[in-house]
Amino acid sequence: MRLARMGAMMPTRLSFLRVLVRRLCAERAAIKRAHWNMSPDGHGRAVYSVDLGGHTYSLVAISNDLPADQRSDRVIATAWDAAFVLYDGTPDVDEIDRIAAQAPLQEAGRFSPKDLVLSRANKSVRMWDATVAALKSGKQPDAAMIREIGYLMRTTAVYGNGKFGIADRHLIETRDGLSGPFAAEMLAVYMIRHFTLDLVAHVGGAPLEPKLARHFGVGNATGLGMAPFLVTHPVLFNNWMLARETAFARVRTLDDLSAAKRASIVALGARAARHLSEWHVPAPDHDAILRDLEGEWAGFLPHLETLNGPSPIETLWQAAQNESVPLQELLLALLIEAFPDEVDGLTDCMGDPFGPLTTPFAGTDALRMAIEADWRWALEKDYEDPAMCRRFWYVSEAKLEPRLGDRFADNGAELETPLDIARRVAALHTDLPAQDQSVSSFLTDHPEHAHASARIAVLARYPYAEIRDNLIAATCRPIDMLRCKLSFFGATKFDPKFDLWTRITLAQGAPLGNELSPEADDWWLPVLA
Amino acid sequence: MTEKSWTEIQALAVKAATGAAVPPAQALAFGAMATRHLADGGSEAPLSEALNDSGTIVDLAHQIEAVIETASVSEQPVRVSEPDTGRRALLISWLASLPCQAETNATSAEIRVRLSLTDPSARTRPARVHIGTALFDQMQDLAARTYVPDSEASRASGAGAGLMDLD
Repeated sequence: MRLARMGAMMPTRLSFLRVLVRRLCAERAAIKRAHWNMSPDGHGRAVYSVDLGGHTYSLVAISNDLPADQRSDRVIATAWDAAFVLYDGTPDVDEIDRIAAQAPLQEAGRFSPKDLVLSRANKSVRMWDATVAALKSGKQPDAAMIREIGYLMRTTAVYGNGKFGIADRHLIETRDGLSGPFAAEMLAVYMIRHFTLDLVAHVGGAPLEPKLARHFGVGNATGLGMAPFLVTHPVLFNNWMLARETAFARVRTLDDLSAAKRASIVALGARAARHLSEWHVPAPDHDAILRDLEGEWAGFLPHLETLNGPSPIETLWQAAQNESVPLQELLLALLIEAFPDEVDGLTDCMGDPFGPLTTPFAGTDALRMAIEADWRWALEKDYEDPAMCRRFWYVSEAKLEPRLGDRFADNGAELETPLDIARRVAALHTDLPAQDQSVSSFLTDHPEHAHASARIAVLARYPYAEIRDNLIAATCRPIDMLRCKLSFFGATKFDPKFDLWTRITLAQGAPLGNELSPEADDWWLPVLA
Repeated sequence: MTEKSWTEIQALAVKAATGAAVPPAQALAFGAMATRHLADGGSEAPLSEALNDSGTIVDLAHQIEAVIETASVSEQPVRVSEPDTGRRALLISWLASLPCQAETNATSAEIRVRLSLTDPSARTRPARVHIGTALFDQMQDLAARTYVPDSEASRASGAGAGLMDLD
């Protein structure tokens, strides 16, 4: 997978939030408010519970009175409008007190294995204030503003898997409903969205109309910290991509579409067009990409109405080969959306419960053959060229977060995080001996090549495990990695800030907490009519 | 003695090995091994000694690599001679931390291991791992060597950078 394509990915019905909500819908789950102690202006505690897969999970929400000058999306912030813990079970008063003391501290707090997810959020003050004012005056908030912003609160971190003492993923990964990647985190996000809707109705003194409430998602600000995950979890990355590619391969082979199926594809195409028309971002360059896609999609839509011939999906896909990568990605997501019977079962294969189960190469000659078969793209670059090695990834001392530096301008390159996989494989290839020998004896003399050797073994078994680009090139755009990962989360309305971080919306258009039923699983690329 | 999540210990052990100048692949494997070792109640002394001498970790990684190579071409148990008690304990934990199935039998100076490279390990992991204060502090000190002080440029790359708006 190349960065250029990763940077254009769209959410699909394989996306983790979509999978989680689909499961909630299948179980006809209902979110119950178990505890509510809020001041009139919305500060206090709340607990919500939901049953999923035979377990009860609770969101403990702590809403604070945050001075305006402390409201920041930066990971270095120390105070937020709200803090959350997704709790395993139903917390008693002592547990709520414990969480209320620790959750607002976030990274400085200490948590227990009963705490599954830790998160925090800030209000979109403009959207929040306008919504409260409208509700207090007996009106509903402006639909155009909801289209533009799309959320009442924006999370700035959603921590899972053992961070700060919360439960390790292995403790819950076999549970029905939480076995998929990031399922616990997605459940927390979905319940946070429910809380924000409840809170604004409480402060405004009136409920939102369901149609408007449904179009409020949860915002998120995501920076570089998320990008290295795709490199450091190669088997997981492979399994996500393999599910996507398998889903699309199945769809491409379909023939003889029913009239109802053809109509659903046309309807999804029209919905995608409306979604694009509602998706605007402040950055001129990124908005120009969206406007180009909007125009290109409008021109492509007539192709969706000619699915009567043989191999209709394959024919449609071939027609898209003359179009841009963003259009191809939009079309791929649409076609996956249209065929749940062929696609949905693949979500069971998107986790990585085992780690890499690789077998060693017979010798250095076999290792060379694997490199020359699978890594040609990595060998063709001159890593001595400053443009090919300008970036270096590192971990910041202040927040222990991944960052990206300029090798020729910044300090710290000697502490580089090993995300330079392509360069390492090329260096290994150069050092391979002319005479075949065992890989272990070669690595005894060259221990620095063990990392590359392991990645080559992984790629030999897991064909989508690597991003096939040079991640230290001056042209590497981390935003492409973020877009890929966030699309797998189910994010919409990507709003990139520079090439390094982005805002997104999650759960926009998702059924509300009292609407979870199988027929509600139809919210791909939502629009507010 | 303090207790941490599995992920916390593993991540810290990887950073500690990296801070001790162990190459990346060996540091990653050391992190998995150290967590398994502590979770199984292994002695902390050999972990501490290994972190004081990065060559030990690299040597152990080579021994494991050779075991895996041998196991890939033979169904017979692989014999590993290791007279040093501490290193032998770490080798056993290293084998137990592999993603694949590993059956080990240890005698006074030898380990016999049977690997099933394509079958996943079925070992369970506890909710909490206990670690002594001295080893934890040693790991933290080593891990700190891997961090880069923030610059203005790095701060500008984090989420939320450049904005203090109300949206």
